[in-house]
Amino acid sequence: MAEAKANKRVNDDLVEALRGIVGDRLSTTDAVLGHHGRDETYHTPHPPDVVVFPEATEEVSRIVSLCAEREIPVIPFGTGTSLEGHVAALNGGVCIDLTRMNEVIRVNAEDMDVTVQAGVTRKQLNKHLRDTGLFFPVDPGADASLGGMTATRASGTTTVRYGAMRENVLALTVVLADGRIIKTSRRARKSAAGYDLTRLFVGSEGTLGVITEVTLRLYGIPEAISAAICPFPDLASAVNTSIRTIQMGVGVARIELMDEVQMEAINKHSNLDYPLQPTLLFEFHGSEAGVVEQAETVQAIAAEFDASEFRWETKTEDRNRLWQARHDAYYACMALRPGAKGFSTDVCVPISRLTECIIETRRDIDETGLMAPIVGHVGDGNFHVIVVMDFENADEVARAKAFNERLVTRALAMDGTCTGEHGIGHGKIEFLTAEHGEAVSVMRALKMAIDPMNIMNPGKIVRL
Amino acid sequence: MTKTLKPETAEQVLDAIKWAAGEGMPLAVRGQGSKDGFGRAVDIPHCLDLTGLSGIKAYEPSELYMTALAATPVAEIEAALRQNNQQMSFEPPNMGILYGGANGESEGSIGGAIGCNLAGPRRIQAGAARDHFLGFNAVSGRGEVFKSGGTVVKNVTGFDLSKLLAGSFGTLAVMTDVTFKVMPAAEKTRTVLILGADDAGAMVAMAASLGSANEVSAAAHLPEAAAALSGVSYVADAGQAVTAVRVEGPGPSVEHRCRALTALLKEFGEIEELHSENSALLWREIRDVRLFDAIDNQIWRLSVPPAAGANVVASLRSDIGGRVFYDWGGGLIWLSMGTLSDAGHETVRAAVADTGGHATLIRADADVRQRVPVFEPQATVLKDLSARVKQGFDPNGVLNPGRMVEGE
Ligand SMILES: Cc1cc2nc3c(=O)[nH]c(=O)nc-3n(C[C@H](O)[C@H](O)[C@H](O)COP(=O)(O)OP(=O)(O)OC[C@H]3O[C@@H](n4cnc5c(N)ncnc54)[C@H](O)[C@@H]3O)c2cc1C
Ligand SMILES: Cc1cc2nc3c(=O)[nH]c(=O)nc-3n(C[C@H](O)[C@H](O)[C@H](O)COP(=O)(O)OP(=O)(O)OC[C@H]3O[C@@H](n4cnc5c(N)ncnc54)[C@H](O)[C@@H]3O)c2cc1C
Repeated sequence: MAEAKANKRVNDDLVEALRGIVGDRLSTTDAVLGHHGRDETYHTPHPPDVVVFPEATEEVSRIVSLCAEREIPVIPFGTGTSLEGHVAALNGGVCIDLTRMNEVIRVNAEDMDVTVQAGVTRKQLNKHLRDTGLFFPVDPGADASLGGMTATRASGTTTVRYGAMRENVLALTVVLADGRIIKTSRRARKSAAGYDLTRLFVGSEGTLGVITEVTLRLYGIPEAISAAICPFPDLASAVNTSIRTIQMGVGVARIELMDEVQMEAINKHSNLDYPLQPTLLFEFHGSEAGVVEQAETVQAIAAEFDASEFRWETKTEDRNRLWQARHDAYYACMALRPGAKGFSTDVCVPISRLTECIIETRRDIDETGLMAPIVGHVGDGNFHVIVVMDFENADEVARAKAFNERLVTRALAMDGTCTGEHGIGHGKIEFLTAEHGEAVSVMRALKMAIDPMNIMNPGKIVRL
Repeated sequence: MTKTLKPETAEQVLDAIKWAAGEGMPLAVRGQGSKDGFGRAVDIPHCLDLTGLSGIKAYEPSELYMTALAATPVAEIEAALRQNNQQMSFEPPNMGILYGGANGESEGSIGGAIGCNLAGPRRIQAGAARDHFLGFNAVSGRGEVFKSGGTVVKNVTGFDLSKLLAGSFGTLAVMTDVTFKVMPAAEKTRTVLILGADDAGAMVAMAASLGSANEVSAAAHLPEAAAALSGVSYVADAGQAVTAVRVEGPGPSVEHRCRALTALLKEFGEIEELHSENSALLWREIRDVRLFDAIDNQIWRLSVPPAAGANVVASLRSDIGGRVFYDWGGGLIWLSMGTLSDAGHETVRAAVADTGGHATLIRADADVRQRVPVFEPQATVLKDLSARVKQGFDPNGVLNPGRMVEGE
């Protein structure tokens, strides 16, 4: 769907002017444009007219100024792993691909923070930090860019303990819609004086400005880490164990759910031999004694819900293999049906309603006859159903969409939300209106005050 | 002519704001009024008194959140939570005492605590008020009813309006109810005290504690004069500076961590330990800024990198005098000093600016708070962006104009 408020179109003159800024780091070939206008989902691709690859904040500023003068859309692009059509160039325009802004600018070990250019990915950052004893915890399944993770307010498997991007972004450098550069706070952990402008950009999906640098909070690698997998006789027992764990305030570092279908998928994909039962994956961080104590508490809860055993992964390699398998869950699902693709739902409900929501959803899946494993960040009340399907088959797509609509309705009825971590893009705009009503007009007023010409990623989050 | 509007329902808040927006009539937005002295001094004749919107709306301990009407007293919320062994982990301070209120229970409303984004000693572990704030219903300065967030801990439904409203001092919208996280209270609390460390040594000791695996939930340093004012005898009678490090959690784990901390910290001075009750009192005194004696002194709140805290204080001590104590591992400095007509703002801000930090004038007479920027002045582009945010919510400038920035 095109954005209502019209933008101007790119012409040769603009392309030449952009070349004056970035030289050869620019492309208008179909392959490059195509790659930048689509995501891995069923959303219709909308390629931009030109892609530029800047290397510095000043270049981004000049590019945006040029587009602002001519009222041309600007679409920031990290690694393109977002799932709701976030990077689609609905009205054409200039895609700013930040992958060449991939420098770790400064690790501040004493203050436990780091400043990176927006194109650095989460894995690249952790590799860089390897010898410092520090790490950055937020880990969405994909190896996304930190700029993109900031822009989508991403979270991951450790959010239950360390928070999401929202809690871990300390400061940003942003190029505003008129090309001006701001630093949202002067340094480090100081929240900006005045309104919380840092968090205004966290989750803004490229609609308010281009994030060029991110200062992130780091954590010390814990003295002790242990991980375990724990199969349950049924789905409800697994979910109830996670709820009880959270309600008791046990500080688990990770608590992830996979149903038996998902277990089969990861066994196949990652060559593992885990039992084909609903399973919780745990990780504990802390002092030696603290980890033992947490693990004992959780084992006692699990036993009440008839868990058969805890299988400990003590070696670092085994632990890494376990979590890599979890991160690959989405791709693993494709192994269940060669040639098919995945479509991921993303509801989140208050923790006390989680069992009810998951069990009803599972019943719905079974009745609809979809192939749809469940995987969840259950400590946060958030879970995904990955519908494995043929995107070319209109009937299957329609059934999957109808299923998702029922799922969202169910979650909203439980005081939940349509998206716990993937965001709105343009794929969930209708759901946003259903969930928030008047807040959408407040968001629109905010968008108009900050980007009056509607050039920043137009048609996402709110339509003008 | 002063007029007070006292709505009893969200609809009446809407009517009041529509009226104000229509008339172009600014409103002073007020919860319990415990923090009237916080922010720029403004003279707004009409007051929107929210005390009619009080009471807990939804609280089921197993849900781990609470919804309360905006002007519900923090004390009432804390009492309800205590009955279920739960707490607000951000430890909202009771600013009422600092501003000359009574001494006992918490004053102030939950809306005010969130509106000022206040957080106590546990901030370094658990985050600020905004990190615990899940959602709200509100009326914008345009006279629109809207809500944001909800009861879940994670959502990415568009712009994060909750984060904007936390710390907006009522200048963007009037919240009618708020939903926030509640957590199980710790079974046990202990505080490890180091006696006699100087400021610089204390900063190193606090950093070592916070960097250890002992899950420290608060770290403060009280120079001798501040320590002497504590109601906890171990602290007051020490006759020297006291550095305090708090651990919380299940019993055996707390004891284990205290032992580990004692081993880690004994090189910095003699070690003492406070048990639950004394710990609670000490951290309340720190949270509520009760460790200064002169009740009419001016008070600044300085945010600095923890490693720089002692240096900032050393330079201020020679330039301006006054007394201090440190919270947040040295990252937060409370400074109390004799009255100056300009509150020494240039000197204070210069000392902090070198570190990348910022300073807020927390207590001073109204005429001083009219002349001197209470909040750290912003760079031009940021100021312009903030003005646009204000414009987006409150284009007629009817909500608390001037409370944060002169003329806005
Ligand atoms: C297999 C798989 C697993 C996933 N698992 C998770 C998960 O566990 N948790 C989760 O939260 N998400 C998950 N996602 C979604 C996705 O990875 C995240 O949304 C991620 O944060 C997107 O980052 P990106 O760099 O790919 O951004 P992109 O997709 O390139 O961009 C996303 C949006 O942000 C904007 N943007 C990007 N960079 C910038 C910038 N520098 N400045 C301003 N705006 C910018 C874009 O315009 C766009 O609107 C998963 C996706 C896949 C494919
Ligand atoms: C350079 C630096 C490095 C740091 N490094 C570390 C570290 O390594 N480890 C660590 O634990 N901590 C660190 N800190 C953090 C420090 O200890 C505090 O946690 C942090 O400064 C808290 O931010 P704040 O004071 O802005 O508090 P907040 O609670 O965010 O702000 C207080 C309130 O004042 C309001 N406010 C402030 N200014 C204005 C204004 N101009 N107008 C209107 N309202 C305003 C805010 O909106 C808010 O409501 C660092 C801080 C700095 C400055």
